[in-house]
Amino acid sequence: MAQVSLDERARRIRRTILRLAATPTGCHLGGSLSMVELLVVLLGRVMKFRPQEPQWEERDSLILSKGHAAAGLYAALAEFDFIDTEELVQRYNSDGSPYTGHVNAAVPGVEFPTGSLGHGVGLGVGLALGHRLRQRTNRVFVVCGDGEMGEGSNWEALQVAAQHRLSRLTLLVDRNGGQNDGPTEAILSQAQLVERLRAFGWSTVEVDGHDLEALGTALEAPSDAPRAIVAHTRKGAGVPMFRGKGPHYATFNAEQLRRALASLGEVTP
Amino acid sequence: MTSPTSNGTDLLSAPADWLREQPGLSNRQVFRHTLARLADAEERLVLLEADLAGGGDPFAARHPARFINLGICEAAMLDIACGMAATGHVVFAHTFAPFGALRACEQVRLGMAYAQANVKLVCDYGGLSGAFFGPTHHAIEDLALLRAMPGMMVVSPADGLETIQATRALLEHDGPVYLRLGRNRVTRMEDARPAFALGRAMCLREGSDVGLVAHGEVGVSIALDVAARLEAQGVSSRVVNVHTLKPFDEEAILDTAERTRLLVTVEEHSILGGLGGAVCESVATHGLGRRVLRAGIQDRYDSTAGSHEALLERHGLEATALVEKILGALPRPRLAALAPAARRG
Repeated sequence: MAQVSLDERARRIRRTILRLAATPTGCHLGGSLSMVELLVVLLGRVMKFRPQEPQWEERDSLILSKGHAAAGLYAALAEFDFIDTEELVQRYNSDGSPYTGHVNAAVPGVEFPTGSLGHGVGLGVGLALGHRLRQRTNRVFVVCGDGEMGEGSNWEALQVAAQHRLSRLTLLVDRNGGQNDGPTEAILSQAQLVERLRAFGWSTVEVDGHDLEALGTALEAPSDAPRAIVAHTRKGAGVPMFRGKGPHYATFNAEQLRRALASLGEVTP
Repeated sequence: MTSPTSNGTDLLSAPADWLREQPGLSNRQVFRHTLARLADAEERLVLLEADLAGGGDPFAARHPARFINLGICEAAMLDIACGMAATGHVVFAHTFAPFGALRACEQVRLGMAYAQANVKLVCDYGGLSGAFFGPTHHAIEDLALLRAMPGMMVVSPADGLETIQATRALLEHDGPVYLRLGRNRVTRMEDARPAFALGRAMCLREGSDVGLVAHGEVGVSIALDVAARLEAQGVSSRVVNVHTLKPFDEEAILDTAERTRLLVTVEEHSILGGLGGAVCESVATHGLGRRVLRAGIQDRYDSTAGSHEALLERHGLEATALVEKILGALPRPRLAALAPAARRG
């Protein structure tokens, strides 16, 4: 395949996500769009994997703990050849399809079923401990939402990771500032998130979550402790018509899809 | 110090002999020794604890690299167990039943049951065995919850030998399992018994009047005691040990229903949703119209202190009371012919 820039990949993933919002049941749109650069850098630059051999033993793992953003992960897996984009759009949330509205491990490239929140860090700690015990060097990446950091189980698992110095485990917090019922800060504040993660023993940095280079640098920086990247993002990011305030959930009609794609610079037939 | 191979007797090759040499061990301790011994030959085996391993765990002593005490974080422990299983380990996660099965219930559901992870959740303090520690440390609903999870295997061994056999069988079973143990009892069934197989109930005694269906350390020992007392009154009992609650051996229950006149379930669990519930479901589903007497915890929490035995007694989980109840419930016509003494009483 010809070299495709990460920018271009991000744009194509966004186009697929918008098309998923135009399926009969719609999708979790804002939080899928906010994490696109996170997934693009992971899959396009940092992670080792084989799309045709998703269970390859030496693969790095990606756990989408904020599993409601399934549309974003599926779209990214399609962009990186795990699944077929057209099949995904045709079958998303339809009868008998594996593409459920919260992440389904029956989809190639998905490690665990998630979407009940607060499980990803623990599962990631388990993978990292398991690899270490088998003397493997696989890396493990967990993507959580900032609202999801309200779950106590995450903080249990964060402590365990620090205690065991799981340096091959990386947490990316998609700090888009919104959760189901509104702004995260208005519901259960995650202020001082960076300081709290640091206090829990994690090597922690803050980055612009839409800056591909900054994300790549943060992900490739060596660390002897588990690493947390608090990525500041915007719901609905990358789709100009949302101006960074995309809806949490959306079901587009044909006209809305046309306008959304047009704002991305796409011309639909 | 006790070890899985003390005095030259090996726990795995001669379990009955080994148990006779360790008369004071509770079943939860027997489990620890069994796991330590099994890990000698199975390198994938890992044991996770959440600060309730106690001192001197034989697994920790024998296989320190594969023993991880995570601290007080049961929810994370279950997620971690499932993550480790995904890297090819056979993960045993051990804690108390109220914390493993109840507090971390959703982790068990999502990580173990839904994902069909090769994780064995082993919990002691099943039922009321936490006794005077109070209801925070009792688990009377765990079996109902975990039995309801698709794909979960649920096992309650009756004594030390069965604990050894079940633990060994769990290692060979690829999939999620809940193994439930008590805290105190040292039940040792010395009579010969049929071979142990996961998912297959075991008839411990033949009889035609009462079908006593039981599981676990307390349930089976009470059922055997009740059967002996009933026999002294001329009432014969079939005793079936349902060590595996799920998959449920429905055939054994229907067979027992056909061979006897009254079904009685005996278990250290709420009368709702455990073995009593399972037997009622099977009997009613097959239209047998048979009354089922459910001996178990009577749908209430016990907030006052007491010994394990005292708490069981409060719920009628004790042979004398249960015999009375059974004699009162046996269908009359044949009871008249069988036990005139009981009828006069």
